Amino acid sequence: MSNMLTLAQISATEVREEIIHAFEAGQEVWVELALFGIDISITKAVVNLWIGAVVTFLIMFVGSRLLKDRPGAYQVIVEEVYGFGRNSLGGQMGEEGRKFFPYTLTLFVFLLVLNLAGLIPNAYPVTASITFTLFLALLTFVITQYVGISRNGFGGYVTAFVPPGLPLKVVFVPFMFAIEWISELSKPLTLAMRLYANMLAGHLLIFIFLSFILYFGTFMAVVSVPMAIVLYGFEIFVAVLQAYIFAILTQVYIEIALYRKEH
Amino acid sequence: MLDPTGIFDLIKTSLLFWEFITFAILLFLITRYVYPPIRDQIQKRQAEIEGAIDEAQKTREEARELLAEYRRQIEEARGEGRRILEDARKQADAQRERTKKEAREEGDKIVQRARDEIGREREGAIRDVRREVAGMVIQASEQVLGRTVDHDEHERLVAQALDDLEAEVAAGSTGNGSRTA
Repeated sequence: MSNMLTLAQISATEVREEIIHAFEAGQEVWVELALFGIDISITKAVVNLWIGAVVTFLIMFVGSRLLKDRPGAYQVIVEEVYGFGRNSLGGQMGEEGRKFFPYTLTLFVFLLVLNLAGLIPNAYPVTASITFTLFLALLTFVITQYVGISRNGFGGYVTAFVPPGLPLKVVFVPFMFAIEWISELSKPLTLAMRLYANMLAGHLLIFIFLSFILYFGTFMAVVSVPMAIVLYGFEIFVAVLQAYIFAILTQVYIEIALYRKEH
Repeated sequence: MLDPTGIFDLIKTSLLFWEFITFAILLFLITRYVYPPIRDQIQKRQAEIEGAIDEAQKTREEARELLAEYRRQIEEARGEGRRILEDARKQADAQRERTKKEAREEGDKIVQRARDEIGREREGAIRDVRREVAGMVIQASEQVLGRTVDHDEHERLVAQALDDLEAEVAAGSTGNGSRTA
């Protein structure tokens, strides 16, 4: 009881530090490593990333090794995930786009596992890190540009950014070209920011509601705990939704680049 | 430092590096060892299901044909049975009619034969009686007259007398129903 009373006397600065600490913990170096002077230390975030990757792989791998002619529940789930990737992610604009679904489906499952794993207390939410999301978004961007150029040809791909039939070509062609390219370049940024901000905001909200207990006193638990639980449930929903959005947008961006000339 | 708290987590080279490695390995492993068996399994089952559906369709088609065939056969058999029954009935009727007719004819023939026989017997008997009577009458007449009579003339007379008598008897028998010898 006396402990709780001391907790109730924490200051606003201290509360903020408590919350921030959860994210600072991600930078906690467990094994210090460097490659050509670049820091590649194994931090808590990296370990969480690995755990997420291993879990992702195991979920899928175990499912792929238990295949029977009469499927059990687990096999049905794995097959449904595969079917979801093949039919719902792939082929947004045409059959040719379907061949990229292994990438987007892997991305989806990986992000889903990481999003959900980040909700486990004391785990570090890797997807609430801009470095992580930006890397995947840039990877998508690189694939997008590569696919677009290799299918439509460099000239064809670049000029396809300008819509045909513009009036006053001298002015509008460069203008539209610039606008379209700004839009194209903003895609990876928005992709990265969307996932990062959603995951970070969700975690911060839970922390903030729980920190009311620290700031206002133990009686706030009556409000804070139910709210935290509700938000937690909501976060599970957001975790699935954001993983899906990231994956489907990646697929759509790739297919837009693929069919750039036709659209 | 741009982001001392780490809350914005701006470009952490360690995370970036390991993320690249991890995601590359994960992508490789999953596309190499996870998707192909699942894809094959799904395709296999799809083929199996399609095969089963085709098979079922074929079987159903066959069953339908077989059913139609059996129905037709039953219908035929039923018709055949009806026809056989009809024939048998007709034959039986004809047989019966024929038998009846034959029996009647046979009976008629027997009756006729009997009648003829009786007639013949009767005529024979009458002839005998007449001859006898004529003989007796002649004999009696010879004894009475004491001399021979003209045999032929006499016989004619006797026959006439007998005919008269016969006619009388016949008239009498039809008149009172009793017959005297």
